[in-house]
Amino acid sequence: MTFTGPRPKEPYQIPPGEEVEGPPVTARDPRAWAKENLFSSVLNTILTVVFGFVLAFLTYRFLRFVFVDAEWEIIQRNITNLMVFHFPREELWRVWAALFVLAASAGFGVGAAGTRRAVEIEEGRGVAPGRGMLLRRVAPLVLLVGVLLVAAGSLTATLLVLGVAATAIAFRLLGRRVPARYFRFVALGVLVGIVASYLVITAFGGVPRDDWGGLLLTAFLAVGGIVISFPIGVGLALGRRSSFPVIRLVCTLYIELIRGVPLITILFMSAFALGFFLPPGTERPSLVTRALVALVAFTAAYVAEVVRGGLQSVPRGQIEAAQALGLSPLKTTRLIVLPQALRAVIPALVGQFISLFKDTSLVFIVGLTELLAVAQSITKQPDFLAQGLFVETLLFVAFVYWAGSYWMSRESQRLEQRLGVGTR
Amino acid sequence: MRVLRWAFQAVFLFLVVAFLLYIWGNLTGNFERLGIRTDFRYLRQPAGFAIPDSDFRSSQSIFQALLQGAQNTAKVAFIGILLATLLGVIAGVARLSTNWLVRRTAALYVETFRNIPVLLIIIFLWSGLLQLPAIGEGREWLGLMSVSNRGIVVPWFERTGSVAVFLAVALVALLAAAAVWVWRTRRFDRTGEPPRRLRFAGGVFLAGLIVAFFLSGQPFTISLPETGRFGTTGGFRLATEYAALLIALVLYTGSHIAEIVRGAILAVHKGQTEASNALGLSGVQRLRYVVLPQAFRVSIPPMANQYLNLTKNSSLAVAIGYYELTRITGISISQGGPAPQAIFVLMLFYLMFSLFIALVTNLLNRKLEIPGR
Amino acid sequence: MPRRRLIITGLVLVVISLLAAGCFHSDDEGNGNGQAAQTGTDGDTGEGQEGGSVFQQVQDRGEVVCGVNEAVPGFGVSTEGGEYEGFDIDYCRVIAAAVLGDPNAVSFSPLTAEQRFTALQSGEIDVLVRNTTFTSSRDGAEGARFLHTTYYDGQGMMVRADSEYQTLEDLNGATICVLSGTTTELNLETVFSAQGIEYSPLPFEENDPLQQAFIQGRCDAWTSDISQLAGVRSAWPENQGGPEGLRILEEIMSKEPLGPAVRDGDDQWADAVNWAVLSTILAEELGVTSENVDQMAEESQDPDVQRLLGAPVEGEPFDPGLGLDPDFAATVIREVGNYGEIFDRNIGTGSSLGLDRGLNALWTDGGLQYAPPYR
Repeated sequence: MTFTGPRPKEPYQIPPGEEVEGPPVTARDPRAWAKENLFSSVLNTILTVVFGFVLAFLTYRFLRFVFVDAEWEIIQRNITNLMVFHFPREELWRVWAALFVLAASAGFGVGAAGTRRAVEIEEGRGVAPGRGMLLRRVAPLVLLVGVLLVAAGSLTATLLVLGVAATAIAFRLLGRRVPARYFRFVALGVLVGIVASYLVITAFGGVPRDDWGGLLLTAFLAVGGIVISFPIGVGLALGRRSSFPVIRLVCTLYIELIRGVPLITILFMSAFALGFFLPPGTERPSLVTRALVALVAFTAAYVAEVVRGGLQSVPRGQIEAAQALGLSPLKTTRLIVLPQALRAVIPALVGQFISLFKDTSLVFIVGLTELLAVAQSITKQPDFLAQGLFVETLLFVAFVYWAGSYWMSRESQRLEQRLGVGTR
Repeated sequence: MRVLRWAFQAVFLFLVVAFLLYIWGNLTGNFERLGIRTDFRYLRQPAGFAIPDSDFRSSQSIFQALLQGAQNTAKVAFIGILLATLLGVIAGVARLSTNWLVRRTAALYVETFRNIPVLLIIIFLWSGLLQLPAIGEGREWLGLMSVSNRGIVVPWFERTGSVAVFLAVALVALLAAAAVWVWRTRRFDRTGEPPRRLRFAGGVFLAGLIVAFFLSGQPFTISLPETGRFGTTGGFRLATEYAALLIALVLYTGSHIAEIVRGAILAVHKGQTEASNALGLSGVQRLRYVVLPQAFRVSIPPMANQYLNLTKNSSLAVAIGYYELTRITGISISQGGPAPQAIFVLMLFYLMFSLFIALVTNLLNRKLEIPGR
Repeated sequence: MPRRRLIITGLVLVVISLLAAGCFHSDDEGNGNGQAAQTGTDGDTGEGQEGGSVFQQVQDRGEVVCGVNEAVPGFGVSTEGGEYEGFDIDYCRVIAAAVLGDPNAVSFSPLTAEQRFTALQSGEIDVLVRNTTFTSSRDGAEGARFLHTTYYDGQGMMVRADSEYQTLEDLNGATICVLSGTTTELNLETVFSAQGIEYSPLPFEENDPLQQAFIQGRCDAWTSDISQLAGVRSAWPENQGGPEGLRILEEIMSKEPLGPAVRDGDDQWADAVNWAVLSTILAEELGVTSENVDQMAEESQDPDVQRLLGAPVEGEPFDPGLGLDPDFAATVIREVGNYGEIFDRNIGTGSSLGLDRGLNALWTDGGLQYAPPYR
């Protein structure tokens, strides 16, 4: 942005460290706290007792199951299957290498973002972060990795994970040193990192994505879907608000058509009925590719709607001011409208990507072995057949999904606070 | 410049149309070579399969089967939407409760179910319900209710006589109740006395129903579930698959609605709360008369999205054995229906559901709109 | 905004309906304007069309894509290591061996019953070998072409061994588990409603949840092709009583001829697949097995054997013009085996299923397996 002169102050700012909800953190007399928060009235006392009992019972049953009754052997023995399924075992080092690359680029991106925010705060644009947030934010992720490592029970894996973490931290420090004028290339750098981690697995005699499975496939579909559907969604949103009636009509039809249909029909079409629409004998892309395309086509429509909301929230005055400055329509969109619109809808976008992450579980219906499919298939192994072990496997998968989604929603909450969106 | 704009659009339109025509040509060409029909005549073929818990007969057409499937989808969607809204509002309000334990419990529920794929919840619940005792060892309570992995059966009404008279009288009662409602409202406007509309109108309607029941010669009896060798007869049966699907969708969508409600309540200006406190309203009164009405207004569009999602997510029943729209479309495809047309019809059905939900929520939206805004 | 969405959704609906009404019915008038020319060029047979025969595509690709089942022991299962095995799987290998000379040049595509015909029609798979019943509407409306029946089957009903059901009539009022999208789902309705037996179907798309439901007593009986039931029974979990824990009722509810199917309109490919299958039956008739095939090819003086195995008779091997190598049958038998070997290994007495040959015995033994002469 090329404004000079005083920047408008944001009308509502949250004082640093304050959350939208949650108990006051100040240490007080526990009895006073209990009186205020649990037993302030007769109704509250009854509620406390009832909920206390229910919660205690559920917690007891849950913990008892997890730590006493459950037979986690099925998970322990199949942990590699759950992670990558039939991925060739001798090529597993590539997955680890990809993790290193990913950690490096993520750490770099986070570091640079931190510096950038510091600059913004200095200029009076940003909001200072709350303290002690980092651990709260990454807690689900740490928990997930911890559980996976316990299930794997392997020293090598633990060391490698520590190595990955160390790489992330090292590159975070590196990222902090990025000079201000290169900020705009940071996102590009992270993207390159993601693509590189993909190439590490596939390129140079690697394993094509059609042979991936388990969590690796889930992650690929989720990340690939996010990266590809985002620009398409933005394009569709701009198209829907375009001044060209034809483009508007086409984009609107596409968005509303896709949004009116369940994802599994789109997956089914792309997996089994694609051949109807191609000339006979055309070699068609693999199932994984087509599932990805279906997910992208689906998510893009939803992303478009979210972005459209952001576009509508940009005050007309901004556009008029840009026009008064003599900017071309293209430049107005790129420099004035889009940055503000995207900024306003970041939390909603993250929400959309969380749905995409969860929706990847549907590809199991068209025969791909992602995490949920692996979990279903390992209960058929001779050693575990018909023993009702679905509770253990489904609980494990649920936990993996939960940790991933919860982590992302925590990040989105943080962004929400930082950007001052959704609060008054 | 103007010419350029239109030229650009013309080229764009040409490309899109050319692409669609290309696809269309491929489709018809492929169909012709395979000898598959390109019309919708397959819809008139006899279905040949049976749909449990319905009046559908196998000699009826595939189209009839699809209608039955749409009805089954609607059965899940309608009840699911009602229950999910109820659960979501309760959980959303509870998340902002002054009681720490209630607040945390609600947060636990919301954060758990919001972050798990709904397909997983469906499979998990279905597998869990199968663990209930088999029919022979099923539990019964006082002969009123029977629980087994075939489903949950509760007493229900059974038709024994003519219903027409009953319905006619019930209709009269309903009209009378409506009249009473209007009367109470007018009176409230005039005098400011508490209206108690629900109590009055409900009483009139209930009394009307009782009169109707005896007037028409008791057309209903209560039928109790009786457990036989293969299951229960009589009563109302909540089949396992339906129950699993419904509960899973309610739990999942409820957690999303809770977040919407929470956001909407937070969006109600703080001054409103303070003002109602100053007026001396109790906590429940404040919610009922000040906060929730305003919050609902904000939350209707995102709620409509959730309702739509719930309806579309009911298609995940293909993973368990419930005959809804998607399953019946799948069967019709494998019994000789051409896949593109069948999926096209399926899309039409879901679009109609979307349209219906959009219609209803729009009406609601307009009704709740603050006048003059 | 919501109101606009309403209008837009309505618009979408209207446009689609118009498309549906306008386009899909226009086939009676020759497919509108532009398509008539395009589709007119396609001949009736596969040969000479723009995409080429599937035969050519398969050879270019070096791989046959075979639609299979992965959850019926004996016919098609995927093992823990990701391999496939079974009777139907072996027939995929037979086709690959005949067309490409390599029984392992197969890419298996596991399909559910509901998915299989869409996958076949749209060209996702080259051939469908997935215990699929040959029926008229599948031959017609589904655009499939059925080839030589590899297994003559019938529909049966399986119950738990400790239950008291002996006949179908005992099952009055029962809940019956069935795979949706199968002929068994239709036969179940036909047979039961003809006999006036009340029942409640419980449909599943895949065998695994069906098995789960049956184990838990969600349904009283499981209906399917008898061969499939036998396969399931043979692999029944030990903690559920093993194979002895299940009983298949004696009544046979229908005819279920199971065989490979290819897309309509491609005769060259259909012929190749058909004769690959028939060669295994011919080999059994002639006593050629995987053990003696090489010896027979060299030493046999029987002209039938010589023709089948492509042994040179007076310098030139017999080539019926199927587009297959003259010695394709020798490759098939050497690499996979003859019909009897494939049967015994997967589902016959040499396997845990232990099925009798029954109807599937050679015609010379009173069965139905009868291959046309190879000459």
